[in-house]
Amino acid sequence: MQYSSATLIDKYLRTRKIPSTACSGCGLGINHKVVVQAINELDLKVNDIIWGTSIGCAGRQTFATWQGDGFAGTHGRVYAIARGLRIALPPEKKIICTVGDGDAFGIGLMHLIHSARSNVDMTVIVNDNLGYQSTGGQFGFTTPQGAHTDSSPYGMFEHNLMSEGMDVMHILKGAGATFLARHVAMDGQRAVESVKRAILNPGFSLVHMPYPCPTNFASRELGSRNQVNIYRWIKERAKPLEEADENTVWATGVWHDATGSRPEFSEHVWGAVNKIRKTGAL
Amino acid sequence: MKRFLETGNFAITEGAILAGCRFFCGYPITPATELAEAMSKRLPQEGGVYLQAEDECAAMHVCIGASLGGMKAMTATSGPGYILYADPFGWALGCEMPLVVVNSGRVGPVSGITGAPGQGEFYLTRYPTQGGNFEAITLAPNSAQEAMAMVVEAFYLSERFRMPVTVLGDQLITDGFEDITVPENEDEMKEMGFRTWPRSFCAGPDFYPYSDSLDIPPVQMGSGAGGLCSDWTPTEQGYDIEEVEAHHKHAYRLIYKVRNHRDLFNHLYEKKYMDDDPDLVVVSYGTPSRVVNTAVDRARAEGMKVGALRLINLWPFPDEHFKRKTKYLSVELNWDGELVREVQRAAPKDSEVHFLGSCGDLPTIPDLLETFEKLLKNQPLERKGWTLEAW
Repeated sequence: MQYSSATLIDKYLRTRKIPSTACSGCGLGINHKVVVQAINELDLKVNDIIWGTSIGCAGRQTFATWQGDGFAGTHGRVYAIARGLRIALPPEKKIICTVGDGDAFGIGLMHLIHSARSNVDMTVIVNDNLGYQSTGGQFGFTTPQGAHTDSSPYGMFEHNLMSEGMDVMHILKGAGATFLARHVAMDGQRAVESVKRAILNPGFSLVHMPYPCPTNFASRELGSRNQVNIYRWIKERAKPLEEADENTVWATGVWHDATGSRPEFSEHVWGAVNKIRKTGAL
Repeated sequence: MKRFLETGNFAITEGAILAGCRFFCGYPITPATELAEAMSKRLPQEGGVYLQAEDECAAMHVCIGASLGGMKAMTATSGPGYILYADPFGWALGCEMPLVVVNSGRVGPVSGITGAPGQGEFYLTRYPTQGGNFEAITLAPNSAQEAMAMVVEAFYLSERFRMPVTVLGDQLITDGFEDITVPENEDEMKEMGFRTWPRSFCAGPDFYPYSDSLDIPPVQMGSGAGGLCSDWTPTEQGYDIEEVEAHHKHAYRLIYKVRNHRDLFNHLYEKKYMDDDPDLVVVSYGTPSRVVNTAVDRARAEGMKVGALRLINLWPFPDEHFKRKTKYLSVELNWDGELVREVQRAAPKDSEVHFLGSCGDLPTIPDLLETFEKLLKNQPLERKGWTLEAW
């Protein structure tokens, strides 16, 4: 299927926010389009989806881009807001949250873990630009080891969630997430397919999507804002899960698919409430 | 009506349910834990949902989410948890999302004493989040029965003003057993002075007009009409905007929708012996006011011209009750004096404003009588373990 951006924009997005205030060469737009394309391929309507966002580049650039309802949470808390909203919404409504790496894996990690534990029906798209770029370019918890940023001038030397055998996906899987995938921005249709499966999963889904930041990350680590360099740099470090080796930073594809294996949060809670109301006990 | 010998936690739970609350999310903390427990038992019976969050910050955000979806929601905590509400409190204020927050005060700072009542959050309830540019509403009951009424009132105000409203109690109110009357229908609720306001619905895209108007429905997610809510300064349609002029309008609304409609809650105070221009006015709120009222009765019986003024709405501060130049004494459950500073500010220039504070236990009636007598005779006050400041 072919989609021009104009078709998707007319159908789903607000032109008021386009063009966005993203930096030249920013890869976030590619990720954003992957999500909208997945929605379109699933033939979902504007009022089927409530779009949540957060802070930083990802939150600010994707907030209010959806023609339907949208909200933005403070730093790392959007998952908690979404959990309450999930209880109040009819089950057929879908919640998609486009957030950043700091929001998801730093300040919001505990809320994310508990949303996974509860298997709340939401799809979290983590747009990872490898650090805190909207605040100027500090390292984050998925910044590749050794990378030079404004707060790691000697090279990022802290233990993080993407090295030494650790991967944030293991944490989320252990916490009970029922769908997990990772794709770099240039994965194209492979990424669209994973996002579709994530949206269809009636439970907690997360797709980690690293993308290039030429302005801050590339200028510090690669010494250049040339977009080609950072796109190539990310692509060289990403491989499909089955081909990943010791040099792979981002193993891409579906990490975990346990669709339907656990009851969905709001269904579970309302089921219990209705039973207690009728019989006085569970 | 039904009568119970029960705790304030029970009363608050029943009040919330009467007001239409069907969602509670909290995090266990003494002395608000039993409120969460009561909610976990009662809400499912009424078709509502109780959730326990991973921390207080999450608890209030979860409540905000439920409110954003159209449910009347409440959370409850104590001081160490209330401070963690600072982040979501700002969201709810900025997004103008109705919510009721109960704070059962204990001795602080930080964890302090878990099992003793305190009044250290007077100012924290006025400035519950960062950034300023807002006004806050706080109600302070002094009994379990009144706690029920105040929670109903808090829901009424939070819906009309489209904002979170704090009910500030303390351990004696939430954990203490008292005789409680619960209305069983709307007529009985009206008879008891309970006011309720239904949740109304704004699908968007309008966020709000730049005015001080009340009764504007909060934005609700789910219809797909394009409703927006964010933590950024909003435009009239809810878009984020980085313009000072737009923020002026936003802040105007957050401040003046409350200040310009104070008639809705400025009757919430209690006067005792205040009609004959008393030589000493004893100011208090919450449980200390119960001892104060008894002490003032005794003082009058002994011929001392003392009056009592109990505040129920703490914020916006009821300056209008401090017009007369006389002696004031603020009685509080803390050692540093918080309410007294506002009394000092609101009272006419050169008024004498004194402070009697203790922490973790109520003042005794003999202590209060001795203090009244000394103040009326212009004698200096003696305080154990604490030297009085100039006021």
